[in-house]
Order: sequence, then C-alpha cells, then structure tokens
Amino acid sequence: MRKVLMKGNEAIGEAAIRAGCLNYFAYPITPQSEVAEYLSKRMPEVNGVFLQGESEVAVGYMIFGAAACGARVMTTSSSPGISLMSEAISYIAGAECPAVFVNIMRGGPGLGGILPSQADYLQATKGGGHGDYRLLVMAPASVQEAVEMVMQAFPLAEKYRNPIMILGDGLIGQMMEPVVFPDDLKTEPGNKNDWATNGMDFRGSDKRNLVRSLYLDPEVLNAQNLKLKAKYEQMKREEIRYESYKTDTDYQVLIVSYGTMSRVCKTAIDNLLEEGIRVALIRPQTLFPFPEAAIRQAASAKSCRVVMSIEMSMGQMLEDVDRSVQGRLPVEWYGKCGGDVPTPEEVADSVKSFLQKYSKE
Amino acid sequence: MDIQLNGLVIICGNYGSGKTEVAVNLAAYRKQMGDTVQIADLDLVNPYFRTREARKQLAELGVEVILPAEMYIHADLPILSRSVSGMIRNSAGLSILDVGGDDAGATVLSSLANSFQGKTPRMLQVVNPFRPQTETLAGVLKIKSAIERASRLSINGFVGNANLIDETTPEIVFEGYELLTRVSDETQIPLEFITIPEELRDTVSADKFDVPILFIQRQLIPPWKLTGRPRTFLPIFSETG
Repeated sequence: MRKVLMKGNEAIGEAAIRAGCLNYFAYPITPQSEVAEYLSKRMPEVNGVFLQGESEVAVGYMIFGAAACGARVMTTSSSPGISLMSEAISYIAGAECPAVFVNIMRGGPGLGGILPSQADYLQATKGGGHGDYRLLVMAPASVQEAVEMVMQAFPLAEKYRNPIMILGDGLIGQMMEPVVFPDDLKTEPGNKNDWATNGMDFRGSDKRNLVRSLYLDPEVLNAQNLKLKAKYEQMKREEIRYESYKTDTDYQVLIVSYGTMSRVCKTAIDNLLEEGIRVALIRPQTLFPFPEAAIRQAASAKSCRVVMSIEMSMGQMLEDVDRSVQGRLPVEWYGKCGGDVPTPEEVADSVKSFLQKYSKE
Repeated sequence: MDIQLNGLVIICGNYGSGKTEVAVNLAAYRKQMGDTVQIADLDLVNPYFRTREARKQLAELGVEVILPAEMYIHADLPILSRSVSGMIRNSAGLSILDVGGDDAGATVLSSLANSFQGKTPRMLQVVNPFRPQTETLAGVLKIKSAIERASRLSINGFVGNANLIDETTPEIVFEGYELLTRVSDETQIPLEFITIPEELRDTVSADKFDVPILFIQRQLIPPWKLTGRPRTFLPIFSETG
C-alpha cells in the first residue's frame, strides 16, 4: 500500500473506519478536533454515522447505547472532555460493553492550555470515573503506531468487553508523519450475541440480553466486581506491551518514558552515548497494564545507578515506576507540563545531574 | 530559473499541504536575496505548527511578521490582526499571506475582500500529492474550487510540494512534479515553482524540471529533532513564547 502523509488526528479517524467502526460520536475540542472534522466527511462516504453530540456527557452515553447494541463505536476528545465522559465510561465498564475512547491530551488542570501534555496519566490508568474498573490504556509514540493501536483496540475491547483508551499527547494528534495502513479488519464483534440487545429473534436465542450496571443485591454486585477484577488480571497476563531501547548495553541510567516524550528521550540517549554516558529506555506501549516486570528486571542491571520517569506530567507515572522498581534503585522524576515539550538537551542535562548525584554514593 | 514573484502573494491549499513551510521558506529565501519581505499569519484554523512558531527566526532575518498580539499567540481563537488589511493595501516588495487549510481556512480571505479591491494578488495553491485528498487531478481540482468559493478569489498558480517529510526521496519529487504538470496542463494555470528538501539538493538535478525550485529547510519540526542539525534559524518549541 502507498505511503501517505497524514496528521495524527486524521489517521486516527481513518484507522477507525478501516477497523470496521461505522459509528462515531464526538464533541469538538482542541487539539483533537480534526478527528471529528475528518470523520464528518468520511463517515457518509462509507455509510457510517457521524454525530456531533450536544456535549461530551451526551456523547459518552451515545457510545454506551451503540456499544450495547453490538456496534463498533469510538469517540475522541481531549482532557476536559474526557472528564465529562468519565461517568459514562464507568457505566460502560460496569455493563461490560466494548468501546474505544481516544484522549489527545492538552495541558491541565481545569481549562489548562491547548499545547501537548501527558497530564491525564492517572485519570486514564487509575479510574477517572467512579467504581472498581480499569481501562486497557495504549500509548502511541508515532502516527503509524496510533493507527495500529486504534485498529487493534476494537478487537481488544470486544475480547474483554471493556472500554479501551488510546492516550496520546497533543503532538500525536497534531503532527504529520508518513503512514501505511494495515489491512482492513474484516471482522465484526464475534461475541456480540453474548451481550448485545440485538433482538432474541435476530440472534436465534431464548436468552434475554440485559445491559446494566445496577446490581442492588450486595452479593451479586460483589460477584460482578470479582468478575471484572478477573478480567483486569487477565489483561496484566496477556496485554502488556513495551519497547526496549539500548537495554543490551551496560547502561548507567534507565529511563521510563512514553509517547512523544519517549522520542525526545531517544534523541537524548543517542547524544549522551557520544559523550560516553550509557542510558537505556523502557517505553511502555500499554500504561495499564503497566510493564512492571520489565522495568524491575531492567532496574536490576549491575551497572545501573538510577531510574528516571520522564513525562509531560508532574510525576504521575513516577508512582508506577517506583512501584515497579520496588526499592532496588533510586527513582527520580523529570518533566514539564505547560505545553513546552522538554528538549533533548534538557533531558540530557537532567540525566547527567542525577547520574552525578548517584555515582558519588 | 528563479522564482518571479512580487507584490501580494497568497499561499493557500488543503489542510497539511505544507503551506506554512512553503511560506516561511519563501520569505526567508527572498529576504536573503535582498528583497523587502513581509509575511502575515492568517491561519485561524490550526492550533499547532503555524507561521507564528517561526516568528522569532523570521524577525531576526529582517522579515516583517504580522501576527495576533503576543498574549494571544497560544489561544485557539480566530484572531485576525488589524495590521493585515494595512499590509494588503500598502504592500511593498514581496508580501506573503499564509492562509489556513481547506475552504475553512480560506474563508478569512473573503472578509478581507475590501482590502483586495484594485489589487491583483497571486493566489497559489500548494499541493502535496502524498496527502490523501490531493493524490489525483480530481482531488486537486476539488480543493481548488472549494477554496475559490470560500475566498471569493481565483487561484492563479500552483506550488508542487511533494514530500513525505524525512522519508522524501527523489522518486517522490519526480512523481509529484508529474502530477502537478498534468494539473497545470489541464487548468492552463502555471506551476509557479516546486519544492525540494534541502537534504536532496545535490541528489536531484535541477535541469530535470521546467520550473523554478525552492529548496526547503524544514522549520516546523518536532521536539525530538532539535539537536544536531545546523540550520539557518531555530525551529519551533525552542522558545518560551
């Protein structure tokens, strides 16, 4: 297939169509709006549905409704919009319906700014909405990877009957890169008769499908939560993804970083190597489940002095990195969260200062 | 062959066709050739990667840059600087208007219709045949008529900007040139110039083309590429704005 130049947001929209998602509901917000703009043109061409909701709250429940009917469905938004959808996300997880949410993050808290950020890490990985639920969270570092993750997200959502979140900083949505689309998914939700309210006659069943998250009987609700917990444990066994960079060297510093920030770290690592400073990187591609074991193992290298969480948030991922390292090494943070992406030079300076601090001890 | 453009030049095109890279590089090139150059950022639709990102570098070269007030530079508001209509009326040397993408981005031009009265601006459509909307002659013409409707102006020149950013090869440049030549033949509108990445200057021989070439040194680059490459002026995100 021919390589084309696409903006991340356009490519995300196209990837959804190629994954067989013909239902897209959204509300515009910078820096994500081009997904909606693109799909408003493309969905009618493929007999799909584009609908701009009156608010993100409404969109969240449109997603719930379509998912309950067994349709592949997606929405995209940016940070404050995802906050508004969080109630519906909790309901969808509680009712065990599959759906794909894309968050192209901007700076926060509150209205924040429109420039890139990774400040919704905790919201995406630890909840956001209420109750005991988890999202499978995937974090692309390029437009190509965003395309692939969006296309993989739909079957994964159906496998777990759970919402999936694609978490990208603003640059993932705004930058242009060459992309090649994988083959279209020819499948549709294979297991949808298990949950979809698509009619007993239609599916030739005498079992009624009821989509709900209300369980008034405490024992039944507890059982439902145990069932959800088992799914999240299965994600931890089967879905962890990460990339290792320069971990085959005798590195002195281990960086954990994801998304656009990880690409800056790679440049910094290459530049530092020219100065004789050896640094390795673990880039989580799934943020939940988090590559704890890989980080723990990498932090066990004899040559390594310090682990750094480098993120465009104020130490949100640091908590997971710290937990993974389990006290084997000091864990430090570097990052920025105003919209300026740290430069390779700034990352290198920070690496050098921590290396100096921990080499003395 | 040199690029023979003077007076008022409007750079438009579909979303992501590379208008800003073309506008900024054209401004820098002509300034370095000794011309008087002004550039106005009329991109009211794009939140990142706009001419304003290169404002400091252009100003250092002596290009006059017309932008919304500094305090609004990161607001996603459609702010049109009042100085733009003045620049159109009193254009001297080369005055470049960098317009936002698609018909949506070109709509701003219709609101400047009064200032354009009595002027004959060159309106150039930038085309990258590796963007999905403009892979074919039909696609290019569809964008052309949408922009003309929205702007109430006529496109009277094309700019060939075939590229896949860092993955641009000579083959891509030739393939783009071929499509743009067909577009020009079909419409009887001249292909004003094509662009070639600076990195390919020595690989692609200029005598293969019947039109002038603007060598592009990318200015709006992502933050992980800030180091290691010498450039005439510094790129995006290097300042605190």
